[in-house]
Amino acid sequence: MNLKLRKPPFPFSAAPTPATVEPLSGKKHTGIDYETEWARSFPARLARLAVLEGVLRPTMKVIASPDCRGLDRLHDLAGKRRSNEPPQPVIFAANHHSHVDTPLLLSSIPEPWRHRMFVGAAADYFFKTRVTSTASALALNAIPIERTRVSRRSADDAADLIDDGWSMLIYPEGGRSPDGWGQPFRGGAAYLALRCNVPVVPVHLEGTGRIMRKGSKRLTRSATRITFGPPLWPDRDAGDDSRRMAVRIERAVAALADEASTDWYTARLRAHRDATPALSGPDPPSPWRRAWALGDRGPKRRRASKRRWPDLG
Amino acid sequence: MPRPGFVLDVDRSTPPILFWAGEGFRLERLPAERSRVIYPPEPLDPLPHPEAAIRHALLNPLGDSKPLPELLFPGMRLTIAFDDISLPLPPMQRPDVRQRVIEAVLDMAAEAGVDDVHLIAALALHRRMTEPELRHAVGDRVYDAFAPTGHLYNMDAEDTDNMAYLGSTEQGEEVEIVRRAAESDLLVYVNINLVAMDGGWKSTATGLASYRSLRHHHNVRTLQHSRSLMDRHKSALHTSNWRMGKVITDAGVKIFQIETTLNTDTFPPPFDFLMKREWEWSAKDRALFLGSSKSLARAPSRLARQIFHSIKAPHAMASVQAGEVDAVHEETIRNVHRQQLVEVEGQTDVLTMGLPYICPYNVNSIMNPILVMCLGLGYFFNLYRNKPLVREGGVLIMSHPTPWEFHPVHHPSYIDFFEQVLAETTDPLRIEAEFEKSYAEDEWYRHLYRTSYAYHGVHPFYMWYWGAHALQHLGRVIIVGGEPRAVRRLGFMAASTMNDALEMASDVVGHSPTITHLHAPPLLLADVQ
Amino acid sequence: MKALLFERKVAKYAAAAVAGRFVPGKGAAVGPISLQDIDQPELPASGWVRVRPRLSGICGSDLATIDGHSSRYFEPIVSFPFVPGHEVVGDLDDGTRVVLVPILTCVPRGIDPPCAQCTGGQPNGCERVAFGHIEPGLQTGFCESTGGGWSTAFAAHESQLIKAPDDLSDEAAVMVEPAACAIHAAGLAKNGRSIVVLGAGTIGQLTIAALRHLGYEGSLTATARHPHQRDLALQLGADRVAAPTELSRVVRAQEHAMVVGDQLTAGVSDVLDCIGSAESIEQGLRVLEPGGHHRLVGMPGVTSLDLTPVWHRELHIGGSYAYTPTDFAAAVELVRTADLGRLVTATYPLARYREAIDHAANAGTRGAVKIAFDLRNEKERNR
Repeated sequence: MNLKLRKPPFPFSAAPTPATVEPLSGKKHTGIDYETEWARSFPARLARLAVLEGVLRPTMKVIASPDCRGLDRLHDLAGKRRSNEPPQPVIFAANHHSHVDTPLLLSSIPEPWRHRMFVGAAADYFFKTRVTSTASALALNAIPIERTRVSRRSADDAADLIDDGWSMLIYPEGGRSPDGWGQPFRGGAAYLALRCNVPVVPVHLEGTGRIMRKGSKRLTRSATRITFGPPLWPDRDAGDDSRRMAVRIERAVAALADEASTDWYTARLRAHRDATPALSGPDPPSPWRRAWALGDRGPKRRRASKRRWPDLG
Repeated sequence: MPRPGFVLDVDRSTPPILFWAGEGFRLERLPAERSRVIYPPEPLDPLPHPEAAIRHALLNPLGDSKPLPELLFPGMRLTIAFDDISLPLPPMQRPDVRQRVIEAVLDMAAEAGVDDVHLIAALALHRRMTEPELRHAVGDRVYDAFAPTGHLYNMDAEDTDNMAYLGSTEQGEEVEIVRRAAESDLLVYVNINLVAMDGGWKSTATGLASYRSLRHHHNVRTLQHSRSLMDRHKSALHTSNWRMGKVITDAGVKIFQIETTLNTDTFPPPFDFLMKREWEWSAKDRALFLGSSKSLARAPSRLARQIFHSIKAPHAMASVQAGEVDAVHEETIRNVHRQQLVEVEGQTDVLTMGLPYICPYNVNSIMNPILVMCLGLGYFFNLYRNKPLVREGGVLIMSHPTPWEFHPVHHPSYIDFFEQVLAETTDPLRIEAEFEKSYAEDEWYRHLYRTSYAYHGVHPFYMWYWGAHALQHLGRVIIVGGEPRAVRRLGFMAASTMNDALEMASDVVGHSPTITHLHAPPLLLADVQ
Repeated sequence: MKALLFERKVAKYAAAAVAGRFVPGKGAAVGPISLQDIDQPELPASGWVRVRPRLSGICGSDLATIDGHSSRYFEPIVSFPFVPGHEVVGDLDDGTRVVLVPILTCVPRGIDPPCAQCTGGQPNGCERVAFGHIEPGLQTGFCESTGGGWSTAFAAHESQLIKAPDDLSDEAAVMVEPAACAIHAAGLAKNGRSIVVLGAGTIGQLTIAALRHLGYEGSLTATARHPHQRDLALQLGADRVAAPTELSRVVRAQEHAMVVGDQLTAGVSDVLDCIGSAESIEQGLRVLEPGGHHRLVGMPGVTSLDLTPVWHRELHIGGSYAYTPTDFAAAVELVRTADLGRLVTATYPLARYREAIDHAANAGTRGAVKIAFDLRNEKERNR
């Protein structure tokens, strides 16, 4: 006997619009218009704390076993304050390879910023449906921003949060790298830093691309390294504007990449000679040579294929 | 606004005073109307922008010196020497001040395109630093950039091929320092001035020197005439080092000296009540004191030691200056005094002090009886300018458990010194004449200094000489709570309580002596009028 | 007469061995030694006389026998049942006070001509200790025919007796025999450069005194566990006394040696081992210089030992047993000069033999050196 689940009748479920009537064009509640203020209320923050410490952090430890470097560079920003005073807001600007980047960073950024973070997330991806919107807002304290041209609205929202003492995690590349090399840095982080007069801490992530590549849904365990760089204060007197600041940030992250792959002093020597290898990789744009050059950075483990002999029968 | 240090006259309403006793502390009531307690100044506010301050110092040197970037050029040989594990005390939280300064210097060196850089731990005859200790001092970035290729290392004063003799002073004091430092185009010395004894020409002339050099000022006569070690103008030790400095300059060694001072923010929460005045302890502080003093008294010594040696001090940089050695040092001393100086009127019959668990020579280690003597009679006794706090012929009462225990890896020659030399005599002059040479030249101690983590064979002698001035000055030394066999071997008297100690002191200073208690740590420098 | 008799009872012997392993001296309570009433020994031949002991010492070899530790090596040169006791000062029938030289060599055994050792003046090496007209027995105190010092009377050959000088007390006289062992051992080492004496029991202390008496002026380091032993050793002539665990460190500092693993690279020339255990031998080998001599003065047993250092550093392990007549004479001098009678800490009557043996076995911990039986007040003595 077929048991069909029947839709509950009105008023237990919404009634369909009659065919002859113009449907009401309601305010869209997803995408860029999603209201995320509730996610910063006290109960939501408590829930997020539980999720972050109880679920995300241990998971990241197992999947990514992050090696955090350069935390002492943030010592002066933390300063000496009592525990209930808000910290100096900071914009953490990182390179972007994988969806794992955000939970990894949120569980690795140290106190006192860890529990006062918000993330700018792509409106069309993370805030597509109500379910994904709620999840992103609750778990990551995400606010929607446009991928390409950032609207005034998102910029204002972000700036207001920063002025309130929240610290921001942003990926200046705009999206995840498709091939493991970096994409050009956009000006969002720089703009906000200048507008709110807060420092930008450049962060370099290494290894997250191996865990969950763009386009794949598979999670592979891999060691990652997170390198925090010295904070960059916006310096209007030196003629900083969004453009120049963005270049400073990109250079800083590139220097951190150099530091992570060689050593600090070699990175400094190259930085002063303007010889830091670019984040966007070697010049020949042919895909196989870029992939070839990238291959040196990953782990050398090669999973042997189980079958050595062709199966003839 | 940090308050200055002051002298409290004890009366009947004064609460009992905190006394350190190694890995523990207790409260002692001092006799009213004739005791006083010297409290150190509160920690100065830290520099708000340490990185900027360091850069400013490097670009605006004191004395006859060019700014650092002008002294750096591609293809040069640069050597950076830094103070070893004996500073600061307790070890400070990351980032260590040496890390900050060295990274700033190296950044300028990178800008100038300098490739040949050596970083040397200037430990003279102290023990070598382990990898974690070096990482803590210079930071992981600098360590990983230089140690794997052998460019960051502990100096070896017994490596005769790599020590350079630069000449002698008119008084015949030989000057021999690490060859790499002597032959570099620039030697940058990164110093921490915890007390007024450190820094100046002592950094290079002692820190980078060999036994052949050190014996000319690390001897009984010189130290008996250093009154005090914290006052370089009245200290024969420093006069000798300054003479050696001239030899070093004349030999053509170019030194860019960077000196820093730290505030005396010594104990992190929850131990910060140890820095507060007793009547300002909150209810929480008092509860913490009661809980910790009882449980520490019951804990096995290994555990107590582990707890204390894991304390990392929240010291913050209070000043930084760079450039020519003499000019920099004058400014540094001014800053040390700004933090530590306390005016004190007159001397007393008795000086009391509680000795903490740490001295420069037992970081991550055990404080053996010889180090107890050195900390009390060598360092704390010398925390004065002008006159000692106790009158000549007076009594010194220290509190420390003084266990008959030695760290076999760090202090092997100390065990033999205690068992063999002190059993024979405690007179520093006899010790120097009869025993120093054989310990200084013993092959096995030399082997352990060079390849293990041991202080040099001659080091226990220096510990004993450090107290030579006090031994001459005092009428009696009593240790409260010390292990009697060990205390007697040191030549002192053992008392179980403070009252017993005062009773034992009575045949020297009478039954109603005046008493000064030195409430340190945190550190202070008494300016005795 | 009353005597402590050591009988051949295998089960009791095994019991003694077990008990003695756990509690030193407990073999006296459960082992084959007991206080009995037996006939006085007959004089085996002419030249033998009756000796009535005044004081009889308890020696380390006696304790080893009682606790079942002694080696099976002794079986053919000991005859059961025997009365122990070879350190004796006693009276002859005519009242002369004599000290016993207990070794039963060719002369007391009636062997003519005497063996090469006895003829050569080394009676301690006598080849005939199991032959002649008395039962086998290396010394009085291990022989069925002669009896021994732990009784009210025994038989001795004239050649075994030395008149006790009048100025020596009984206590001093009873120390002469052990002092002779020490003199003999010291004689083997006195030309060494630098000496270590292991063990600060009776033999160790006497060896220290003997070395100085024979004119040794070099460096002398002793090991001692207990404070009274330390003080005595220093007083008798040791330059320094170390706790047993500290010996390597002290010798290293003294000889300015390097250390490789547990072994010192340089060291002393002679070690006089007055303990004789596996640990003491290993310790001695560790602190000897290449070519050095480790001499066993204390009686060892069956021991398991790593001989590699002996091969690698060309060391010598040797023994020192008993004495020659010259040694004995020198011992009398030593006892007199160093006032060694004071080393007799306590005496006991035969009836309290269990306590006496317990005290002797734990002498170090109980602050004692030599324990002896006092026979002067035994009722039967003067019958």
